[in-house]
Amino acid sequence: MANSVPMALDGLGTFLDRRSDDLVQMTTEHLIVVALSVGIATVLGVGIGLLVWDRNIGRSVAITTAAIILTIPSLALLAILSPLFGLGWGPTVVALVMYSLLPIIRNTVVGLREVPAPVLESARGMGMKPSTVLIRIQLPMAWPIILTGIRVATQLAIGIAAIGAYVAGPGLGQFIFRGLSSLGSKNALNYALSGTVGVVVLALVADAVFILITRYTTPRGLRA
Amino acid sequence: MTAPATATAAPLGQRSRGALIARVLAAPVVVALLALGTTLWLASLELDSIEKRTLNANYIVDRVREHLVLSLSAAALVALLAIPAGVLIHRSQSRILRAVVLTLANIGQATPAVGVVILLAIVWKTGFSTALIALVAYAFLPVLRNTLTGLAEVDSAIRESALGMGMTGWQVLRRVELPLASPVILAGLRTSLVFAVGVATIATFINAGGLGDMIVNGLKLQRYPVLIVGAALVAGIAILIDWLAGLVEDFARPRGL
Repeated sequence: MANSVPMALDGLGTFLDRRSDDLVQMTTEHLIVVALSVGIATVLGVGIGLLVWDRNIGRSVAITTAAIILTIPSLALLAILSPLFGLGWGPTVVALVMYSLLPIIRNTVVGLREVPAPVLESARGMGMKPSTVLIRIQLPMAWPIILTGIRVATQLAIGIAAIGAYVAGPGLGQFIFRGLSSLGSKNALNYALSGTVGVVVLALVADAVFILITRYTTPRGLRA
Repeated sequence: MTAPATATAAPLGQRSRGALIARVLAAPVVVALLALGTTLWLASLELDSIEKRTLNANYIVDRVREHLVLSLSAAALVALLAIPAGVLIHRSQSRILRAVVLTLANIGQATPAVGVVILLAIVWKTGFSTALIALVAYAFLPVLRNTLTGLAEVDSAIRESALGMGMTGWQVLRRVELPLASPVILAGLRTSLVFAVGVATIATFINAGGLGDMIVNGLKLQRYPVLIVGAALVAGIAILIDWLAGLVEDFARPRGL
C-alpha cells in the first residue's frame, strides 16, 4: 500500500514523457481555438455594445439574448450546431463565440455608460462629434471594464472548449475523452488527469496574462 | 455549467421599465417558440423505427425525470452543505481559511466539468451516485464563495448595533446577517442550479442517464431529430429554471434592500 502512490506517480511520469508531443499539440490547439473564438466574440461583442449602449430596447434585447444563450448547456449547443457546421473546429468555434458574447457585450455597455457626464460634456464642448467622443473618450475609458469582460469570456471558453472534443473539436478535451473511452485500462486515469489539469493550468496562466494586459493597456490617467 | 459570469460582471445601473419587462418575459417566450418550432418540425418528418423508439412520451418523460432528479438533488445538497460551510468559515474569522477557500474556489471555477465527471468515474465507478457527487463538487464552490462574500459585505456597524440591542451571536446571524446576505447567496444558488442542469447533460458519458442520452444517441446514430429534441428539451429546461430562480431571487429579496 505504501508503494502505490509513488508507483502511480511514476506511471504518470512515464506517460507524460511518452505523450509530451501530443500534450503540447493539444494545449496549443486549445489555446488557438479559445483565442480565435474570443477574438471573434470581442469584435462582435464590442461592436454590438457600441451600437446598443445608449438605446434602452436594443440594450435589453442584446443582453437578454446573450444571457439566454449562456444558459444553454454546452453539450446541447454543440450538438445542435453539429448538423449545421459538421464536426471539429466549426461547431466548437461557433459555440465558444456565442457563449463569450454575454460578458463582453455586458461589460462594454456598462463601461461606456459609466463615463462621467462632465467628461462627455467637456469633450463635446471642445467640438468633438458624438462618434469621436465615443471612439476617443468613452472607449478608452471603458477599456479596463471591457477587458474584464474579455477575461471572463476567456475563462468560460477554456472550460467549455474541453467539451468540444465530443464533437471532434480540438484541444485538451481529446485527452479527457480518451480517458473515458479507455476506462478500465491503466492509462485511463493518466489521460483524463493530464487533460483536466492541463485545462486548469491553461486557465490560470491565461488569467495571469490578462492581469498583465490590463496593466499595460489601461490608459495612463486611469491607472491606479 | 455555463453561468459564472455573475461574479465579475458589473451592475447595469438603473433598469428601465422595458428592460424589466424584457427580463421577465423573454425566457418564457423563447422557450415557447423553441417548443413550438421543434414540435412543428417534428410533425413534418417521417420518423424511422430507431427514431420512433426514442421520440415517444414514455422515453422522453423518463429522461426528463432523470435529468431533473439529478440536477435538483445536486442543487439541494449544495444548498444544505455549502451555506452552513460558508457560515462556519465566516464565524471562524480565520483569514487563512478564507484565503484558502477563495483560492480553491477560483481553481475550481477553472476546472472543466467534463474532466471532474470523467475523473471521478475512472477512480470510482460509473453511474448516478458518481454523477451526483461530481455535480455537488462542481456546484459547491459558487454557493460557498457567495455565502462568504455576502456575509463579509454586511456592514460591521449593523452587526454591532444588533449585538448592542442584546441579540446573541446566533440571533445576529439568523435575523440580521443572513437576511442581508441573502441576495448574494441566492445569486450563487441560481448559478449553481444552472450549472447543475448543464453538467447533468454530461452525466450520460458515465451512464447516469438524463437528456444527454438523447443528444449522444442522436449524434452516434446520426438521427438528428433525436439529437435536436434532446438538446431543445435540455436548453428549455435550463432557461426556465434560470428564469424561475431569477423570479425567486427578486421576490425573496428583503424589502429594505
